[in-house]
Formats: sequence, structure tokens, C-alpha cells
Amino acid sequence: MSERDDAPAKPRPVPDERSEGYWAAAAEHVLAVPRCSRCGGVSMPPGPVCPHCRSTEPDFQFVPVHGGGTIRSWTLVRDAFLPGFRDDVPYLLVDVALDEYPNVRLIGRLVDGPDAPLHLGDVVTVTFDDLDDDSAVPAFALAR
Amino acid sequence: MSHGFTARGEIAVAGYAQSPVVRHADRPLGAIAIETALSAIADAGLAPEQIDGFVTGSLLPSAGGQSAVDGVSIVTANWMAEQLRINPRYCSGFQGYGQIPGAVMMAVNAVASGAADYVLFHRALHNPPGRYHENPMTEARGFAQWTAPQGFWGPLSTIALPYNEYLQRYGATRDAMATVVTEARANGARIPWSYWYERPITPADYLDARVISDPIGILDCDIPVDGVAAFVFTTAERARDLPNAPVYVAGYAQGSPSVPRLPSHWPLDDIMDAGFELATRLERHSGLSLGEIDLPQLYDGFSPFIYFWLEALGYCGVGEAHAFVQDGRIATDGGLPILSGGGALGNGRMHGVPQMLECYLQLAGRAGDRQLPSRTLGLACHSSPHFGGAVLYTNQEL
Repeated sequence: MSERDDAPAKPRPVPDERSEGYWAAAAEHVLAVPRCSRCGGVSMPPGPVCPHCRSTEPDFQFVPVHGGGTIRSWTLVRDAFLPGFRDDVPYLLVDVALDEYPNVRLIGRLVDGPDAPLHLGDVVTVTFDDLDDDSAVPAFALAR
Repeated sequence: MSHGFTARGEIAVAGYAQSPVVRHADRPLGAIAIETALSAIADAGLAPEQIDGFVTGSLLPSAGGQSAVDGVSIVTANWMAEQLRINPRYCSGFQGYGQIPGAVMMAVNAVASGAADYVLFHRALHNPPGRYHENPMTEARGFAQWTAPQGFWGPLSTIALPYNEYLQRYGATRDAMATVVTEARANGARIPWSYWYERPITPADYLDARVISDPIGILDCDIPVDGVAAFVFTTAERARDLPNAPVYVAGYAQGSPSVPRLPSHWPLDDIMDAGFELATRLERHSGLSLGEIDLPQLYDGFSPFIYFWLEALGYCGVGEAHAFVQDGRIATDGGLPILSGGGALGNGRMHGVPQMLECYLQLAGRAGDRQLPSRTLGLACHSSPHFGGAVLYTNQEL
């Protein structure tokens, strides 16, 4: 073990059998949302039951989206409750409604830095924070 | 007005006890819970052997991933009954966020149905060692995979998002909340069992306090504590033969979100949509107009909940609560007493207990030198409107 006081690791997503399609796409820098094979409804996160049609066998398919959306809210995190983010504060989290599925709201880090001027309705596009070669986490960037 | 509550006015609170609210107790939570339960039973003029129902909500509301140990960090209804060596006819616990109204409904329904004659309702809250919400996870499994990898963790960011949505949408400022928080602390400072007894704050104290997840600062959050409260429920008929003035349950309602979201993501519209529906349900269940409430105890575990409840219950228009709370309109002395019991901000993280306790004390005429004149209908709210509930109490026979 290292004697250095390294920052603890960030929490790494551990896919399960319902979410592996989401994380596999993210690793390829593609945002893909779960669509119910029975009714076609899209929802996040993928659970055991489709919240639209109540199917208990939704067999979610992960549909790529272009990743654009609008900011519905944000918060500047100044004190991290996850030790892995201790060296990252302050950072912005944004609450984003996806253009293609406005009822799907995602929360991601905004990569433009903590001082980015934000307004409701600002347009963002998805980007990715690489954890390593096999794993990436969706984040957002202000559209230029 | 017709009402949907077939047991309206037929169930009553007959007694109570409240432990001191402290940062860290010097003995296990279960010991305090048993002592508080026995005090409440005695206060109601009963013997422990007469209790045949136990109800609680035992959630440890921390994001820190601490293990819950019954009798130490949580206290379940079953544990309580076992320790008191009572084999109850009814013993149950509420699952969900709005623990106080949720569990009160169970206690009321148990008495109303005859499942139990005397229900001991308790709530025990614990402050674990270490930082309350800090979680050392390095692998995000299950629900956590949708929030922790991007650094979205703990209820401060959860509430910061709809609060900022509110501020941005309605052009409100963070500074306006100073009125709410100072009012809660002023009232809590008058309550001997409160953690904040004799410690009011000024607006400057609020504005100077550390901001943690904008716009949520440390003084927008209730402080984690160890504390226990207990109440005895029975039929109104039995309660009238007991020592204290009965406080009757006039109705109740819950809210719940209608749209699936990421874990801990609480958009403003989800909160408010459920809040308006809760208000409608409450009027239908009780057959009473919300306009008759003269003791609305709103929940304030995070200060923005006050705005959401005020607007959901119709005390002001949507987007107007930040202005409504100014100029003495929520002052206990002369205004709408929404925080007269100090709330969670003025007592410590007792969940919805301060709201319920204030309704009981004022309506039973037991509030001592804090007694408000001629109150007849109280409302005890808890949690966010979309994961919470509210209970109507009255000292009038219905």
C-alpha cells in the first residue's frame, strides 16, 4: 500500500443486468436511454418493471440519443459527501431535460467549470468523464 | 362538507413524552426510547400492560451507509414491545420518507379498526458518529449507480436542485430565507428540550453561514441529533376518561410522486404537483376546509420545504412564498404560526415530531408559557409534499 495520502477513488458504476446496456454505451461515449420493448416508453432508470405499461418483462433496449438537452436547474457542490470528489470541489451539477425525451431528466457534472454563468433553459450537450478504458460517466457541456 | 374519514374525530392522542434533543446521547438510543415510552404511557394515565399496539417509522435518514442496529441506531416497534415485555395485538412500522404522518395513519387505523385499544407511537432519531452523510463508497451499485458516479450524493444536493429551480423561476433570492430560519430558531430557543434552546440566530448569522450545495447552506438544514418522542393513541371515548384533554385526529393525507426519476432527484414540479393533490385529499378526507386551520405546522427539515408547503396548501400563490414569509406574516406573535413549535430547524433533526408535538401541546392546552390563544385545528406536515404527508388535529368534538 502506498504511504501517500492519495484522494480516495471516485465511486465507479457497477452495472447490473438491467443497466449494463447503459454503461456499455457510455463507455463508447454514447448516451443511450432504456426503451421498453413492450410499449416503447422511455424511462430512467431501468427497473424491473416498465413504469409506462407495467410490463414485468420490459426487456429494455438502449436507444442512442444525440445528448442535447436544456438545463432545468443546477447546484454548485462545495463540500463533497463522497471522499472521491474531495479534490474536485467546487463543481457544478446540472439537471437536464433531454431534447428527444423531455420527461427524462438526467443529472450530470457540468464540465465548463464552477464559474460558468447559467440560466434556466440553457442548452447543453452530453460529454463523458472517462474513469478508465472500460468505464465512462455521462456529463454535460454548455453548447457553443 | 362530507368527509371520507369514517373514524373522523373518533381517535385521539391521550398523552406524550419528549426526550431532551442532544447532539450525541451518552447512552444507547433504545434506553432513551424505553424511558420516553414509559413516560408517555404514564402521562396518558395508563400502565404499560394496557398498551396493546406499537407503531413507528424507524428510518435512519442518513446517506452515509451506516448499518442500522435495532436499539442502538434505530428503534423498531417490535424492539420496543419486546423490551417492555409486552406481546401486542398490533405491531407495525411505516416504510417511506414521511415517517410521522405515515406511522400516525397506521396508529389511527389500528385503533379505529379495533386492532388495538391503546397504541404507543414513537419516533427515535439517531446521529451516528462521523459526518452524517459522508459515504466512503468506491463502487456504486444499485440505486447509487445513477447518482454517485457523477458526484450527486446526499440530500443537500437533492433539495438544492428544486430550491434553485424555484429561485431561478420566480426571481427569488437566497437572502429571503433568513426570515424563515430565524423564525424557526427564535421559537426553538423558547423550547427547553430543543437542541437550540436559548440559542436564536440573526439574519446576519444565516447569511454568513457556510454554503454547502448552492443555494443550500448549513443553516438551511436541521442538525442531526439523538432524540425520542412518544405519543399514546386511543379512542376518543376512552381518551375522555383519561387525565389529559383529548386531541382528536380529523383527517390525514399523503403525497407521492407521479413520474419515475433518478434516485434522489426531486424536480420542483414533481414536488408541487403532489403537494396540490395532497391538499385536495386532505380536505376530502377530513371534510374540513384548509382555511379553517389556525395552527399550520409546516415541515422544515430543509428550509425550502416551507415555501413548497405554503404554496401547496394555498397560503399564497405559486412562486410567492418567498415574499409571503416577510413582514411578520409567519411570526408566531401576530402572524400565521407555521413554525411556532420551532420545527426541525429550531429543535434538531426530529423529523416531523416538532410539528406533531406542537399541534398536540397547543390543542391540549399544554404549551405552558408558549400557549397560543384559542387554537382549534392544527396541521402537522412532514417531509417533502411529494414523499410526505400531513395530519389534521383538533380539540373540538366532530
